[in-house]
Amino acid sequence: MNTFYLSRNRNNSNYFLFMARYLILLLLSVCPGIAVFAQDAENMIRIPAGTFTMGSDNRAADEKPMHKVYLDTYYISKYEVTNAEYYEFWKQQAVSAQGVPQHTPENFTHLPQIGDWHERAKRFPNHPVVGVSWHDANAYAAWKGMRLPTEAEWEKAARGYTDRVWPWGNAIESYANTAASDDGYKGGLAPVGSFPKGKSYYGVMDMAGNVWEWTADWYSDVYYWHSSQAFTKRPKKNPTGPTAGSWRVIRGGSWIDKISRCSTTFRFYLYPNLKTSFVGFRLAKTAEKTSK
Amino acid sequence: MRNWIKIVIFLWICLPFAGIADEKSDDHSRYVQHVEQGFAAIFQGDNQTAISEFEAALVIEPDHYEILHYLGMAYDQQQFWNKAAESYQRSLALMPDNVEALYSLGVVYFKLDKWVDAVPVLERVVALSPHHARGYEILGKSLVKLRRYAEAVPILTKAVTLKPRAAGTYQELGTAYLNIKEYTKAIENFKKALAFGPGRYAEPHHGLGTAYLRLGEREKSRTEMQIYQQLQKEFAEYERLTRLTRAEPDNIEAWTGLATLLMNQKNYPQAVQVFQKCIELAPDNANFHHGLSRAFMALNYPKHAAEAAEKAVRLMPNASILYNTLGSTYAMQGKRRDALAAFQKAIELDSEQPYYHLNISKLYQSFGNQKLAQEHYRAYEHLLSQQKSKQQ
Repeated sequence: MNTFYLSRNRNNSNYFLFMARYLILLLLSVCPGIAVFAQDAENMIRIPAGTFTMGSDNRAADEKPMHKVYLDTYYISKYEVTNAEYYEFWKQQAVSAQGVPQHTPENFTHLPQIGDWHERAKRFPNHPVVGVSWHDANAYAAWKGMRLPTEAEWEKAARGYTDRVWPWGNAIESYANTAASDDGYKGGLAPVGSFPKGKSYYGVMDMAGNVWEWTADWYSDVYYWHSSQAFTKRPKKNPTGPTAGSWRVIRGGSWIDKISRCSTTFRFYLYPNLKTSFVGFRLAKTAEKTSK
Repeated sequence: MRNWIKIVIFLWICLPFAGIADEKSDDHSRYVQHVEQGFAAIFQGDNQTAISEFEAALVIEPDHYEILHYLGMAYDQQQFWNKAAESYQRSLALMPDNVEALYSLGVVYFKLDKWVDAVPVLERVVALSPHHARGYEILGKSLVKLRRYAEAVPILTKAVTLKPRAAGTYQELGTAYLNIKEYTKAIENFKKALAFGPGRYAEPHHGLGTAYLRLGEREKSRTEMQIYQQLQKEFAEYERLTRLTRAEPDNIEAWTGLATLLMNQKNYPQAVQVFQKCIELAPDNANFHHGLSRAFMALNYPKHAAEAAEKAVRLMPNASILYNTLGSTYAMQGKRRDALAAFQKAIELDSEQPYYHLNISKLYQSFGNQKLAQEHYRAYEHLLSQQKSKQQ
């Protein structure tokens, strides 16, 4: 746990200082509100098992009812998948398919600030990859030995254990790349992690704005009624959404959206084969269960 | 040398084909651009631009069932229902069992009063997607419109099972039961419609009135019908004022009337918008800032409420009620010292208002000052009883 800190600071000549810092960190990690969550080399943040509140009774109809959901421990990527990361996958796909490129992101010739795939992969390696369909995102995740987050996993990582309207809290702030002009990225994407103040309770970045993110779930406007206690009398465990549908859920809002659409509970949907300049994705994986 | 000439001739022959490839790629780029701009417009609520962009995209690449569906949805939003139906039909021709496009088509048939056409489409929706609550709901409503009440009952029952607390569906279910003369069940469902519906929901009261009448409970029936008529009157006034503000956007009296009506109806989110419009038209009117503050308070936004109340006080520094509101906004934020100063000022300006004393009494109690708390509570009781006896 917290090994990133250890490797950076361990110094024989200053062992006491290291120990003091380590103990403080250990204390912080168990103290609610200022917790530091573990992340591994792949920048995956560990979200501890437990119940959280999903949905909202005061916002859109499809966010009702607010309900408790239990999730096992899982990991979610700290950042959205970048052009550079996706490029590695895309190159390998081209090789394995005898030079015929597969899962190629869409070109956006009319948007110079995003541009065509080859161009942006080189010019903007740290921008989130866009122009990818749900199928592309899913293929990338499988290639990495991971998967897309479920809608519930996405929401828990964004809102934490309290009801935060935005990942950083309840006040309207310029801590995300939205359609607003005061965030410093008007009319285009921002490199991932550009808004450290906008991180979620768990330390996950860019969960509001920049790009919408594909989730694993099919969309249904009434699914929350079925994953809530309204029918089961106890919190639904690890819900994975409806079994079928037309649209996949996207979350988080994007650079073309108002901040109200970038809330932690706002749900939207898109046909899974569409490739647009405002939808990207991040990864998740299930934590291995330790045997008792 | 000859080989070079051959190569040049070959390339010259191939040149037009290269052009075709370029043209195709250019066309696709233009298609992408139109789709992107269509989505951006939809996200900003500009459906008219979305329609133009999606139409332009489909001229270039016509076989995108998903873009046809989005085009239909944009037409639907603009209330061009025939055009919406046409787009959905084109989308379904390419992808016949697309549940959401089928549902959209069913809804648009319903809006066009083509209930006979809506029924088979929606039956297909629920057959393909047995948990499609909206599908059941509109199918049930279509059956009620077609007076096929007995068939509507199980469909609407399924809809409320899938989506509980859907007031409109309970209203339809009540209507269906009423028409098959199951009055007790009708009453049960109309009551649920009222319980889950928005405030001032009129129709269930009419349903209840009718059901009670058929059961011979005349008094209950009369009461429900009176409520219904009162709500209908309010609704007519709301419609009149809304139309007036639309026709005459600078008519401050119409906006004021609408704001007052919305506050009476406890429709605070809309009241906020209307008060903001009033302030836009008359920024120096303290009453509008005060109204905005009260609406924000009711919505539990004390910070916004305090800002509005502070503006109102600056504009009308001798109005006691404004200080009372300001004090309440501070108290809601936990700023007890500021709240105390504001309540004291309110009482200084008008010591005859019972509720000013009640507010300050509660505040003193929170400070632990029981003596002053009790003193003001007694003043509150005394003034309230005086007011009541005057009214009598």
